Amino acid sequence: MNIFHQNNNVKKMKKGKLIMTIIIGLMCLILTMLIFMQVKTISQTNISEIEIMRESELKTEITALKTKYEETAIKIKETNEKILEYEEAATEGKEASMLLQKELKETEDLLGKNSVTGEGIIIRMSDTATNRIVSEDLLELINLLKNAGAEAISINEQRIVYDSYIADLNDQNYITIKGQIITAPYTVKAIGNTMYLESAISQKNYGYIDTKIAEGKQVTIERQTSIAIASHERSLEFEYVKGE
Amino acid sequence: MVFLAIVIGCVLGAIIGMNGPVISYTYSGYVAIAIIAALDSVFGGITSVLKGNFDLKIFISGFFGNAILSIMLTWLGVKLNVDIYLAAIVVFVGRMFTNLAIIRRYYIDKWSNKMQEVKTVINTSKKENEKI
Repeated sequence: MNIFHQNNNVKKMKKGKLIMTIIIGLMCLILTMLIFMQVKTISQTNISEIEIMRESELKTEITALKTKYEETAIKIKETNEKILEYEEAATEGKEASMLLQKELKETEDLLGKNSVTGEGIIIRMSDTATNRIVSEDLLELINLLKNAGAEAISINEQRIVYDSYIADLNDQNYITIKGQIITAPYTVKAIGNTMYLESAISQKNYGYIDTKIAEGKQVTIERQTSIAIASHERSLEFEYVKGE
Repeated sequence: MVFLAIVIGCVLGAIIGMNGPVISYTYSGYVAIAIIAALDSVFGGITSVLKGNFDLKIFISGFFGNAILSIMLTWLGVKLNVDIYLAAIVVFVGRMFTNLAIIRRYYIDKWSNKMQEVKTVINTSKKENEKI
């Protein structure tokens, strides 16, 4: 009985010691594990930048950065608004330049710098054995055509513009339009209302065509729905006129 | 047996800790204070073993209780904007030094006693030799 009791006691003691050993071992495990994890964490974090500063310093830095961020955000907003304004101005500028271009084209059309097409009439005149075409004939014709509202006129593909002149050349069989010599037969193209143009020159008996035919010159007229008149080839520049 | 358990636990803990996950820097402060509390308990335990009044229940409750309490106090300090962890560190490290002093005194006493014994043994043998 006594021996059994002692045995039991020894067993209990052994059991208690085993439990204590295991618990102490576990505690050592936890402690060293925590220490190593902490060391690892600290060595991996950029301590030189963060740990030198105290929390309050970091706080002030954060506040400063925040204010800077807000200022920058406001600046960005302002800049964006400016960009929008510039874009609007640029589109307006585009419209203005388009308008200017349109105006320029209209002016060039009026000056004869562009080739044009449109309905009109073609008048062919040629010398006959008895009489020849002189510059006055052409001048009269052009005046009549302009009077009838011709918008573009050319003689033998020479465009009649604001400074064109027509003259006889030394009483020879040549006519000059601003220096360019042209010879018979003459083809006068005029763009405008065909009815007006035709009626302006083809009255019976005392009209232009009849008068010329009576003088012994050959004149024919032809209506066309689409006549192409080439552009004026010389440069139109002032040499002495000065703008104000 | 206990010594073996301590060695095995330390080695296993080191291996797990080295291969384990990294704690977020935000929480590393809490872990550090828990480690200090646990170390304080360990030294206290060693002192009590030397004094002969070691109690496993007190040791375990101190080990975990102090760690958890210090973490909670640190957390409270963060919430209240007071550096309570400084007080905890002062207390724990102060106690660690006291315990270390006790351990040091114990072993120095033991060592000097041994030296005294050796000296007396040598002296007595010398006297015996002289007698002879």
